Amino acid sequence: MASNGDRTCADWLRTITSLPGVPGHEEATARELMKAFRTVADRVERDRMGSVYAWIEGTGKAPRPRALLAAHMDKIGFLVRAIEPGGFLRITEVGGFDSRTLPGKEVTVHSAPPMAAVFATRPPHLQKRGESDRPIPLEELYLDTGRPEREVRRKVPIGTMVTLRQTPVELLGDRLAAPGMDDRAGVVVLLRTLALLRVKRPAWDVVAVATVEEEFGMFCLGARTAAETLAPDLGIAIDVSHGDMPGTREGDTVPLGSGPALSIGGNIHPWILEDLQRSAKALSMPYRVEPCPMGSGTDAMDIQIASEGVPTAVMGIPCRYMHTGVETVEPRDVDRCAHLLAHYLSELAPEWRAVEVLK
Amino acid sequence: MSSRASHLDSLLPALSGAYGPPGREAGIRAALRRAVRGLGTAREDALGNVHLHVGGKGPRLLLSAHMDAPGIIVTRVDSSGLARLSILGPMSATDWIGAVVHLNGVEQHGVIGWDRPKESKDSREIEADALYLETGLGVKQAPKKIPVGTVGALHDRAEKLGDLWCGGNLDNRAGCAAIVAALRGTRGLKNDLHVVFSAQSDLGARGAMTSAFGIEPDAAVVLDVAFVGESRGGDIALGKGPCVGLKEEGFLPHPAALDLVKRAAKAARVSFQWLIRESSGSDARAVRASRSGVPTALVAIPARKTGGPRVLVNAGDLEKTVTLLRGIVTTSYTGTRGSK
Amino acid sequence: MSADGAPKFREDVLEAISNAPGVSGGEEAVRAILAGYARDKVDSLEVDPMGSLVARIAPRGNGSSKRGPHVMLCAHMDEVGLMVTAVEKEGRLRFRRVGGIDPRILPGQVFRVGAEGIRAVVGALPPHLLPRPEREKVTAPDDLYLDIGARSREEAEERVSVGSYAVFDTTYEAWGTTRKGKAFDDRAGCAVLASLIQRRPPLPVTAVWSVQEEVGLRGAAAAARRVQPDLAIVLEGTASGEAPGSPAEEQYPYMGRGPALTVQDRSLMVHARLLDVIEETAKRRRVPTQWKRPGVGGTDAGRIAISGSGVPSAVVSVVCRYIHAPAAYLDVRDTQRAVSLIWHTLDTLRKEWP
Repeated sequence: MASNGDRTCADWLRTITSLPGVPGHEEATARELMKAFRTVADRVERDRMGSVYAWIEGTGKAPRPRALLAAHMDKIGFLVRAIEPGGFLRITEVGGFDSRTLPGKEVTVHSAPPMAAVFATRPPHLQKRGESDRPIPLEELYLDTGRPEREVRRKVPIGTMVTLRQTPVELLGDRLAAPGMDDRAGVVVLLRTLALLRVKRPAWDVVAVATVEEEFGMFCLGARTAAETLAPDLGIAIDVSHGDMPGTREGDTVPLGSGPALSIGGNIHPWILEDLQRSAKALSMPYRVEPCPMGSGTDAMDIQIASEGVPTAVMGIPCRYMHTGVETVEPRDVDRCAHLLAHYLSELAPEWRAVEVLK
Repeated sequence: MSSRASHLDSLLPALSGAYGPPGREAGIRAALRRAVRGLGTAREDALGNVHLHVGGKGPRLLLSAHMDAPGIIVTRVDSSGLARLSILGPMSATDWIGAVVHLNGVEQHGVIGWDRPKESKDSREIEADALYLETGLGVKQAPKKIPVGTVGALHDRAEKLGDLWCGGNLDNRAGCAAIVAALRGTRGLKNDLHVVFSAQSDLGARGAMTSAFGIEPDAAVVLDVAFVGESRGGDIALGKGPCVGLKEEGFLPHPAALDLVKRAAKAARVSFQWLIRESSGSDARAVRASRSGVPTALVAIPARKTGGPRVLVNAGDLEKTVTLLRGIVTTSYTGTRGSK
Repeated sequence: MSADGAPKFREDVLEAISNAPGVSGGEEAVRAILAGYARDKVDSLEVDPMGSLVARIAPRGNGSSKRGPHVMLCAHMDEVGLMVTAVEKEGRLRFRRVGGIDPRILPGQVFRVGAEGIRAVVGALPPHLLPRPEREKVTAPDDLYLDIGARSREEAEERVSVGSYAVFDTTYEAWGTTRKGKAFDDRAGCAVLASLIQRRPPLPVTAVWSVQEEVGLRGAAAAARRVQPDLAIVLEGTASGEAPGSPAEEQYPYMGRGPALTVQDRSLMVHARLLDVIEETAKRRRVPTQWKRPGVGGTDAGRIAISGSGVPSAVVSVVCRYIHAPAAYLDVRDTQRAVSLIWHTLDTLRKEWP
């Protein structure tokens, strides 16, 4: 039976994953998220690269140390790159897709007003021999809006954002599948954590940041610039971790329902990991340790080396089928992440710092 | 109209012929400092970038173009007196065949050849190992005069071929020339304009990173060159005007900076083409990630490779780029200032 | 004191830190040795948020009012190794590599796992049991495992856990001028740096023993912003080019022929003037030097050079054979030469920089 907290998370997940917002085009999503954060935070603002900051003021004496919690608000998608005769749309990706997961899928083209479209396919009886053995590369795929060419040319500028269109699917065991769990599930953790912290305030200031452009480029732009602006004393990134799936090996995935995945490795400060584990035990909460030998691949990579260095940790929400339209999580894991973060932050001593002065 | 044309006619040959491989840009630095005399206060920084503060009232706008051009570096001299090379920058090994290079400034010249494979089958793509540098110094003098670590650059001066400019180093001396031409005689700046001619772009946008850090601009426009054939599907063309970047490796334009460029293009009546390229990048990805982030847009001059050292740029596209740049510096940036 | 007035190279430090475990992200043991050694030789000592060790040293008085540039000297503490990613129910350990390791050196290799250094072997199927085609392929690291002799997951988890690091099981040895040990990239640089701080330098120096260089030059990026030096010299252990069968001119740099100077690698173009100063100092002081092969590898200098508004940076390396492999070699004369070269360069910098 789902608890109140779980139900809140499930509702949040349904709403928040449905917002658009691909890398570089998070504007409208950011405005909606600011409304959501205003229901749980003391103060909400945006930085000029587009990331949203939501503050919980701590109870300690000023100047208070500052904890940064990051989850990225961009989800992978496409941009319209060309309109062909017939009104068909060619696209370029923003974020990493496996193009094999796309043929036949429905999408939303975010023109004003938005239009539905589908990735075109050819029925098997009309295909050449061997054609279906070959995956269609992204540059050969195209979208069909079902509308006449002149309407498409009038209403869809080059550069228009396109996202996968899939209403959230409820599966057995309270599991939920939707596009954008990566990392809107993390954003929901931020919302839920702030709600808990408002009731039991920490000594530290806590700023939850919904970052831009994590999924694009060689580094996480939003996390990097937010960390420079905020100069936090610690940073925790909340993202999705690969959930258990057939064909994967032990050590590469974390089972759904097993609680938060706490990363270990160079990107994680050992003291923060120890304290998170201590909090989990105090809450009798299950969790897993996720090995990250070559970095976490999350916002924490850029937060850690920002400015003069920030001690960081990574909390993962188990999620199957990442980067498809059916990313699957358990709301229970999302809620656990929030409780764990809230407990850890409320136990964090005002003097805690990761700089050790030896002399 | 004609005065602008004459600026480029003298600027482009002079700037394209200056010595400036990545990390050793002294020659082009001097040429640029001469070219911008009287246009503002110039200085150099630790990485070799040239900063020009032009001035003006309003938001701090950075206009940036990289001044380094691809180069080569000697890795050894073999037993026949031929130097073997590693390439500095994005020019492929095949493109260097037949190039005349200057080494360590103008101390030494050489020509680049290649070990044509004995099989008759022509290989389109070769490794840098197959190139050699012939200086005529002979096996005794070569190791002394061009030891390991000697840096060289393509020696060439751009010239007009009909309505095309042809030359090596047009990436990105065309961009540098366009900025200088745009600054000359332009009045009514609507922003506090800083210009940077950046160093070491071809080694990974290195100068751009540090120059933006020092300036802390409110917005930036990066000017570079984009080659036909770099997109995986749908492409740019010569003669269709300057390109505005929609997506390139590591870069998406900031809406407010893109808005500035679009408004400037409209006011200046310059039509442009959209640039999408998946596996090439420019300084823009480094500038926008500086400090708290800089809203950045990319303008690129379309160019065509020839399979050898020289590349082609349409003169009309270059003129339109100058017009667009003038429009940009005389249009107010209206995005938020400061980090939030 | 060495023959030319520079501090003496501390081989005892090299031996201790070469033997100690310190994979990228788990450098504590190496840091503890260096911190203990450095404490009484520096004015301030701290561990930064990423784990780098930062030591500040004020200059000795020199009578002149010219202070000289603030120099950052940097060497990285981390080495390449493995991380345990899963403990299987039969007690075998699955792993992934940390940093660049050629997969072909893994089968049959012995490692030490975790803080207590429990021994583990990477099993390989005996040739008698393998069909011929299998023997012609490189085994993917994903198909390999570490065997510590445990019979069950429970037994294994008493000694190791997910996240434990493993290092090559190599012990430091000496014969002639040759030294053998693991992780000379970059414990050689760390030991050269440790040797330099035995005496007060002629200008302000901040010594940084950085973390996580092998996984993306990460520690140096943050440290450079903290230190904000006027210029930087990185001390590295670099690969020799010696290989039988290749042409003579391709075999540089050589072990035993002096420190290697970098002109350009994949992470930076060395600052021209700074390189000139180092080269001229070497000539004046008769320290033999050689060139590092242009265009290969990357170092912390790449990150330091682009930090903030830019820092003129250079790299001086001890040439080692077989880096990123279990047993590396170096020539102990080269380590003293590196100490001398940097020591005298500091003097030149005080007089002539900028």
